[in-house]
Amino acid sequence: MPEGPLIRTEDLRVYFPVRKLFRTIGHVRAVDGVSLVVNRNETVALVGESGSGKTTFGRALLGLVRPTSGRILFDGTDIASMGEKELRLIRRRMGIVFQDPYASLNPTFTVYRIVEEPLVVNKIGTKEERREMVMKALEEVKLTPPEFFASKYPHMLSGGQRQRVAIARAIITRPAFVVADEPVSMLDASIRVEILLLFREIQKRHGVSFLYITHDLATAKYFSDRIAIMYAGKVVEEGPTRAVLSEPLHPYTQALIEAIPDPDPMNRFKMREVVPGQPPSLLNPPSGCRFHPRCPYFMKGKCEVAEPPLYDLGDGRKVACYLMEERAGNP
Amino acid sequence: MNSGSDGSELLVVRDLFLHFSTRRGIVRAVDGISFSVRKGETLAIVGESGSGKSSTALGIIRILPRNVARFTGSIVFDGMELMRMSEEEFRTKVRVGGISMVFQGAMNSLNPVLRVGFQVAESLIVNLRVPKEEALRRAEEMLELVGLDRSVAQRYPHELSGGMKQRALIAMALVTNPKLVILDEPTSALDVMTQANIMNLLKRLKRELGLTYIFITHDLALASELADRVAVMYGGRIAELGPADEVYPRPRHPYTKLLIESVPFLRYDKPPTFIPGTPPDLIDPPSGCRFHPRCPYFMKGKCDVAEPPMFRADGDHWASCWLLEERRDA
Repeated sequence: MPEGPLIRTEDLRVYFPVRKLFRTIGHVRAVDGVSLVVNRNETVALVGESGSGKTTFGRALLGLVRPTSGRILFDGTDIASMGEKELRLIRRRMGIVFQDPYASLNPTFTVYRIVEEPLVVNKIGTKEERREMVMKALEEVKLTPPEFFASKYPHMLSGGQRQRVAIARAIITRPAFVVADEPVSMLDASIRVEILLLFREIQKRHGVSFLYITHDLATAKYFSDRIAIMYAGKVVEEGPTRAVLSEPLHPYTQALIEAIPDPDPMNRFKMREVVPGQPPSLLNPPSGCRFHPRCPYFMKGKCEVAEPPLYDLGDGRKVACYLMEERAGNP
Repeated sequence: MNSGSDGSELLVVRDLFLHFSTRRGIVRAVDGISFSVRKGETLAIVGESGSGKSSTALGIIRILPRNVARFTGSIVFDGMELMRMSEEEFRTKVRVGGISMVFQGAMNSLNPVLRVGFQVAESLIVNLRVPKEEALRRAEEMLELVGLDRSVAQRYPHELSGGMKQRALIAMALVTNPKLVILDEPTSALDVMTQANIMNLLKRLKRELGLTYIFITHDLALASELADRVAVMYGGRIAELGPADEVYPRPRHPYTKLLIESVPFLRYDKPPTFIPGTPPDLIDPPSGCRFHPRCPYFMKGKCDVAEPPMFRADGDHWASCWLLEERRDA
């Protein structure tokens, strides 16, 4: 077993230029200095609202968008500065599952061809070997009997079955790392857990690391080992999932949890406390801490002046908030 | 017991069927359902995709596609039988000041070239012949009521955030002073904090205006934010119907029970489970109880043979499951 984490980003930034006519008038700072680790055999949940940069971060890890600065170490090799040709070889060891199983599968391909395609593109195996691999992958995602599903077209399948096809396609090259971007948010509640358990099973069997990108803290709670909360292009809090969710330390994490209901008929008699305002524009984010205009604990002269560092509190917990300054022991 | 409800029935639906014809066959979207909504209460209709919950709403406000194959039953609203009403009568008595609907993902249905204020006022101007000035003033009041600034009336939809647009749509639904508001997944495209804001707004409006809601959602947790009573739909039928205070802690239909167990709780630990199998095909639904192929309590020779009627579990709590019959006989 090789040493060190599978994925490590160092101060990763992804900016998108905003052009007006022929001039660049600014940058959307989708990912703005994120240092995150994904260990081997681990699922990290990356949680944030829309526009927080979580999807862009996931794509950068796969080399699908090129970072503006920073490093992405995949198994010790920096892929941020790698050429397209080398990157293609590395990408074989990575997979992705998208949110919408209705849009991410080619409707004119059979399930067989969809799942086989990564093998064809990467020139893996003979035709016969590929056939065996496809059947095995279908079995693994519990589309059984595989012969029955192999000849189907996506429109003949339910949403859950389509997502299984997408998972089979993602794992057929035996990747070490899979990005699952909101893989169950379009599925019905009664089958979500089944798909998430399938990821866990695949992880156990093949030692895959997952980045589970989601806006849903509740599924993240049960299906990730560690969690990172993103706000406006930055990770504001990270740590072991259970610890973060049972004792959230960043005011944004606290606000996020407060906004989400559990099924409880008493809910109808209570108003939820919601922090005011909207997530900021990534074109021109607030000074200092990006959450300061909405934060109930805002400290004038501090929070809006300088950006809080990601304080290391021990036990794997990190929080980017000045309230943690003392607890972290004034670094 | 139910907040704000005086117990009289505002809407009574009996034996409602709504089928659509498609190339593959007849889709039995709503297949014989009965329920009522009392004044001042919120009935949440909860179900997964294809359960018939949205079709039920479209039947009630008569927004039907052309391929309707069967639309039968009785819908009595405020003492009037809607099924026998002419289109013109329906428009003047029900669409305006009767039943309003806030549609799923409707943020994107606002007209981009008209000011928000006019769009909110439009129903008053067109349907009620209210003079334009007065209608626009009413629209501004409505925008204020839903937590927006009056100046939003002068803005265009693209200048508003998703949450603001959804508020404007709620204002639009309320401007005609409806007796019943149907909310179809009103927060489905919004972020969690915006969703919480909209749910707070709906709670406040219910309390302040005594509104009656039908709240349609796939999300049991979200349903509990408003529901006084819950109807759980499965495969075009109502599986369970009862007070929220009963259904959540003591579900009586195996489907409801398993659905609640599939929800991941954030505030306490309870690993969620899933329901094996797939939802029924509404073109060729299973015989007997539609949940029988997925049900852990399946009784052969019974559940697959005859459709269970609604059994009273206790008080106002009903479930369509043969298990309740046995219990009653015992």
